[in-house]
Amino acid sequence: MADVTTDRTTPRQVYFSSFCPSRQGIVGTLAVFAFLVLWQLAPSLGWVNGRFTSRPTEVFLAAIEIFRDDDFFFHARVSLTEFVAGFALAIIVSIPLGVLLGTSKIARYLIDPPLMALYIAPTLVLLPIMVIWLGIHMAPKIAVVFLGAVFPIVLNTMAGMSEADPRMLRMARSFGATKFDIFARVLVPGSLPALLTGIRLAVGRAVLGVVVGELFVSQAGIGYQLNLYGSAMRIDRLLVYAIVVSAFGYTLTVLVLSVENKVRDWRSK
Amino acid sequence: MSQIEIRDLGIDYRKPNSNEVFSAVDSVDLSIEKGEFVTIVGSSGCGKSTLLMAVAGLVNLSRGSVWINDKEVTGPGADRAVVFQEASLLPWRSVRGNVKFGLEMQRWSGGDLNERAMQMIRLVGLGRFSDYHPHQLSGGMRQRVNIARALAVNPEVLLMDEPFGALDAQTREIMGTELLRIWERDKKTAVFVTHDIEEAIFLADKIVVMGRNPGHIKEVIKVDLPRPRDEAVLDSEGFHNLRKRLRAHLAEDMSSMQLVREVA
Amino acid sequence: MIDLFYRRQAMILGTLSMIGLLVFWQIAVDSGFINPFFISTPSQVWAEFLVQLEDGQVAANVGATLYCFAWSMGLATVVGIVLGMLAGWFSDVEAALEPFIWFKYSAPTVAFYPLFVAWLGYGTPTIIAIAFLFALTPIYANTLSGIKNIDRDLAKAARSFGARPLDVFLQVALPGSVPVMMAGLRLGVGRALTGVVVAELFGANAGLGYAITYYGQLMQTTKMMVSIAIVILLGVILTQILSYFETKTDAWRVDSGPLI
Repeated sequence: MADVTTDRTTPRQVYFSSFCPSRQGIVGTLAVFAFLVLWQLAPSLGWVNGRFTSRPTEVFLAAIEIFRDDDFFFHARVSLTEFVAGFALAIIVSIPLGVLLGTSKIARYLIDPPLMALYIAPTLVLLPIMVIWLGIHMAPKIAVVFLGAVFPIVLNTMAGMSEADPRMLRMARSFGATKFDIFARVLVPGSLPALLTGIRLAVGRAVLGVVVGELFVSQAGIGYQLNLYGSAMRIDRLLVYAIVVSAFGYTLTVLVLSVENKVRDWRSK
Repeated sequence: MSQIEIRDLGIDYRKPNSNEVFSAVDSVDLSIEKGEFVTIVGSSGCGKSTLLMAVAGLVNLSRGSVWINDKEVTGPGADRAVVFQEASLLPWRSVRGNVKFGLEMQRWSGGDLNERAMQMIRLVGLGRFSDYHPHQLSGGMRQRVNIARALAVNPEVLLMDEPFGALDAQTREIMGTELLRIWERDKKTAVFVTHDIEEAIFLADKIVVMGRNPGHIKEVIKVDLPRPRDEAVLDSEGFHNLRKRLRAHLAEDMSSMQLVREVA
Repeated sequence: MIDLFYRRQAMILGTLSMIGLLVFWQIAVDSGFINPFFISTPSQVWAEFLVQLEDGQVAANVGATLYCFAWSMGLATVVGIVLGMLAGWFSDVEAALEPFIWFKYSAPTVAFYPLFVAWLGYGTPTIIAIAFLFALTPIYANTLSGIKNIDRDLAKAARSFGARPLDVFLQVALPGSVPVMMAGLRLGVGRALTGVVVAELFGANAGLGYAITYYGQLMQTTKMMVSIAIVILLGVILTQILSYFETKTDAWRVDSGPLI
């Protein structure tokens, strides 16, 4: 039987030669390298005051000191706890909420405007009020992480639920699917990519929440250390912590992005 | 009694943002016997898809009724399955998962779902691809999965709404032959909507020609070409004559059609 | 074409729900369900707002915040658009900037706040610097995307008429990227405001964020709520203004609505 699919008999595969560097990769690496070199040399050349900018080598040495010093892991753990607690709470609340709200057109019209307003509004300004409500320990920070993460997840999940292809729904109905069938077997799995986008956006805001929260009020944590070293003008150590936070945010975002891409792959036509 | 009876069918739509009502189909009577392959053909807007949707139970009737096996149609049912122009495969499921979808919706109790699905997948010629996902398949392959899914629930009537409309010309031809091969096995009652005259003749035992304003049946033509059919039949005299008749019908419609479309 | 009926319906329901929220808030506190200390009431907040309006606090705070906002937004727009255009047009520029943008994207800018304080001291320069960085990302990213993803067919057509690269840039890429750029500016506005207010929470002596922290330390929730409400309102207003301009520049886009 003539296969109508001679162009697609094998699954689509993207071949990368992962060992052959692309031009972009080279330019990018060179740029970073140039930046590091400049950074290292600028103070000696008198362009900037070394006290304010530190240097790559100093930062590197400071990093070693910090990691050897147990305190780092203690502070990291504090911040991580606040992050995970707030984020987990946000996921538990926002996914069901997003799913339920997404199915009712009226709910969407009602809830969307205030939700959008709150999404745009900097929830971080509620930090001082959170401190009044919840005290000065971990709680207000968990709250700010929660608030930062909740809105993007709910809004994106809602959008994902309502973006369902009407022809898909018609097909399901033609097989006698009940409302619940459609909800559970078509709408919910279909909203997964949007949900993941929401989670990815939430990660950035959640990390921001932890850092700002700890800069504002804390007795421990990465933000606390940032404050400490900032006021003590230990820029090298401050940069180590700042880079650690960036690396954390970056890794998490890339992880979610890769899952998101895998899922979106299904959708590509 | 014929297997499918359509009596004095009328379906009206209200135009959005106005009180105007227009009839997609009006005063349609049609009988279809068990095991007949019927094609419905006509120019755009003649209501052929609407008619199919009425038989499928996916649209509300304004007048008249549709009966299948002496039971009135009031909604979708396990005795019918629809193959739409868009395959609408669930992207997160494999071919096998998608073919199982209909069985799951109908709470199929006739044996192992996987077995049944694989049977159908092999029948449409995709045996090697049961674990592939829709994004890895071509348009023609996806329609085969669509057909497999519909056949899996063992419907009494197979309804198809321009299933090959989105495919390129060569694929369409191949799919037509494939469809007949699959159909020959069980010879289910089939109703196939298309705007392609040659496709309509090639597949059918009976052709229903529809006209527009409002949608109505102009003529029902019996096709006496022998089965099983292959490419050779396209050159036969019988085929030529039928083609001429159908072209005449469509030409009528073209001249009466407004060439400027209204933009909503 | 968006069905006007549905748009109006959405607006009505939206406004209703906002009002409903306020009413619910008032009732919840009045009936003792929520302790007013924690969140005050709409009526009290409104009264306090009028007081602050009278004595000039509102004007002073909003003024200070908007001043920093304007500066940071202005800088972010200029730098973001220029860099975005360069990066969109010259892929080498994009490749060189990419690692830094990625870093900036995943690093919470605020983590470097103490660094900025060390460099620029507490007050306006630091606030503008932080907000500038906050707003830069979407403006740069969108401009980059707009220039990079021009309609290739249009560019091909232009070149077939003998257009030089500069012509293609000015006549095809630039105008074509305006919608996406406007979207980037709209996003930037929200982020700039956030940056300003958040920075003001820490080290400032004027501005809405400053007021929130100040009254926060005094545990005066009502006064805090006034500033918080203004911030939210400001965010919505500024974003709406940008949205309006966005739709204006979008007018020539071919409407992809249903053509029967």
